Amino acid sequence: MSTGNIGIPTAEFLASVREALGRTDEPPADPYAPLQDDLAALTEQAATVRERVARELPDLSRQLGETAALRGWNVARCGGVEEALDYVVSLATQLGATSVARSEQEVFESVPVDAALAGVGAMCWPAVYDGPEGREAVRRRLAESGMGITGADYAIAETGSVVVLPRQGLSRLVSVVPPVHVAIVRPQDILGTLDDLFALRRLEFHRDGAQGNGDMGSYLNFITGPSRTADIEQTIVVGVHGPREVHMVLLDEE
Amino acid sequence: MAEVATREFVAASQAAVRDEQLRQALRRAGSGFDGTRREAIAEVTEDVWEDWRQQARSIKEHTIAHLDYYLAMLERNVQAAGGQVHFARDAAQANAIVSEIARQQGVRTVTKSKSMVSEELGLNHVLEEQGVDVFETDLGEYIIQLAEETPSHLVAPALHKTRGQVAQLFAEQLGVPYSEDIEEMARIARVALRQKFLEADMGISGANFLVAETGSLVIITNEGNGRLCTSAPRIHVGLAGMEKVIPSLQDLAVFLRLLPRSATGQRITSYMSMVTGPRRADDEDGPEEFHLVIVDNGRSRLLRDPALRESLYCIRCGACLNVCPIYQRVGGHAYGWVYPGPIGSIVTPGLVGVAQAKDLPNASTLCGACRDACPVQINIPRMLLHLRHQQAESDDTNQRTVSDTDKALAQGFATVMSSPWLLRLGRLVGRALSAPLARSGKIRQTRLPLVSRWTRARDLPVPAERSFRDRWRDELSKGGN
Repeated sequence: MSTGNIGIPTAEFLASVREALGRTDEPPADPYAPLQDDLAALTEQAATVRERVARELPDLSRQLGETAALRGWNVARCGGVEEALDYVVSLATQLGATSVARSEQEVFESVPVDAALAGVGAMCWPAVYDGPEGREAVRRRLAESGMGITGADYAIAETGSVVVLPRQGLSRLVSVVPPVHVAIVRPQDILGTLDDLFALRRLEFHRDGAQGNGDMGSYLNFITGPSRTADIEQTIVVGVHGPREVHMVLLDEE
Repeated sequence: MAEVATREFVAASQAAVRDEQLRQALRRAGSGFDGTRREAIAEVTEDVWEDWRQQARSIKEHTIAHLDYYLAMLERNVQAAGGQVHFARDAAQANAIVSEIARQQGVRTVTKSKSMVSEELGLNHVLEEQGVDVFETDLGEYIIQLAEETPSHLVAPALHKTRGQVAQLFAEQLGVPYSEDIEEMARIARVALRQKFLEADMGISGANFLVAETGSLVIITNEGNGRLCTSAPRIHVGLAGMEKVIPSLQDLAVFLRLLPRSATGQRITSYMSMVTGPRRADDEDGPEEFHLVIVDNGRSRLLRDPALRESLYCIRCGACLNVCPIYQRVGGHAYGWVYPGPIGSIVTPGLVGVAQAKDLPNASTLCGACRDACPVQINIPRMLLHLRHQQAESDDTNQRTVSDTDKALAQGFATVMSSPWLLRLGRLVGRALSAPLARSGKIRQTRLPLVSRWTRARDLPVPAERSFRDRWRDELSKGGN
């Protein structure tokens, strides 16, 4: 249902801004350079990013692990899938988690956490709303889960952040509602800087095709360490509304 | 609009400096935030930091100079993503918009993540009056909502409260056992709010940035409440001052580097959420509707005056508060409105009217620490002087802060200082007159006629026996180095 535009008309508002600036409605005389990028330029920028990242991957992976640890992630570097599964299982065991929520992403095809967790009596379930349970039931289950596991669309070495984008099967709530979040990062997810990320996303936004045509997707979230606050006497407390504990499982290879 | 108490600045600041708990809280916060900010800058090096500041400043200069153009681009792209944009000229209009969305949608419960604009609008009261339950979810905002107070700092709203005061508040308002354990208090808030997040029909957030190119709203938070407010309820309303827009997604990188470092010294916050329209058909969750309310509410007054325009480059990091010798002594509430400290002393007169807030531009030592700390290089002291100049020259007695006596004294001072003969005479006369009042070379806190407001709080040195000019000449003639 649309509520329509219930403020003042756009034209009237913009006219008053223009009047305050003493401006006409011409576009900027000196066009803003980044907004002049056409598809070819954006494609080239993205290719440059991809090439550099591929070349520097070992360094970026090391930098990501170090920075993430400084920002409060528990970083587990895993040589292979078995090692990663062992880490997740021992974590669930330590926490005594009997219910583990996960997203339904591609990464779980190569990292089968469900079976591994079932082996220690933890029920790992995909938090998907269109199942028979319905939205409210899934939310209740999420609130009772001891741990949430997701993949990462990107991981940024500069900031130690995991970036998640909307995907079918990925609830935004899996990484924020349970008290412990585990993010599984594959080598191909790693980027160097914030600029790298935005260059790639701009190409996706502007190009034709399923994700392009000017659609950013409904959200892009950075997760960098645990939920925290310093609102009382500047004393840091972790685990306010989001997870108190976050783990980055860094796969060296799939 | 939120209640304006800016006329009470002098009385409120006098009371504030006597409040020992407040002084303690301010000392802790100011040195803490500023210390980590400096560490974060040292880590990337001063040169890199200056380069970032310059980039950010150029982006803001360009955007604000063509604000209408980028607001139009933003609106187009929010709409293309399935969202709705509403423009509000003033607080009443902005409140009416949110209130109307809530009414049409049958909203009963609202969860809010931190929004300074909503504080400016006084939105909570408007929603509460129509029977909507509003819950602030940022811990600091939750505390001041329970205490029925206003924020005292741009990034740490409950900075003025000690742990004992919060413990007392929670015990009284929530019926929990008194505990000064900060972790326990955070847990209490988590438990109290968790259910509200999942129940709420509407989530309201502020906006740190709006990206025109993609039609996105960006919020950065540490607690995770922002993510919950923008994901769980079926309606998301974003509130933003019209100056929040930046042109390209590419521009966001430098601001994400500057803002957390300047605010709390963090290299990045725990969460950055970028929202572009409501949930899509394929998404698992997210709001069914996305509304963006863009607010003028006096900002075009700042835009109109080229000398004040750069105040709209502010990204609300609070760094200028943390280094300001005035803010550090009087705290945020003394300023009497939503935006305190050096930047508040410019923005507040612009938004609530100069006549209402004439003490604020004078509440500064002009030391320039705010300008040096500002991540977008806003020249705050220059604008404070500009506002003082306007006040001094104004024909409107409501706006004048300078009495005829002040003016005469200043003119006399200028005449004396620009004539070597008069200065010499003044020194001799001044010395003769003041020597009897002085003890060990100083006149201590006396009430001299005409200038008692100055002298009662300050020690005045007796003019020296020999002037600097005389000493300079003598030293030179001695051939000293």
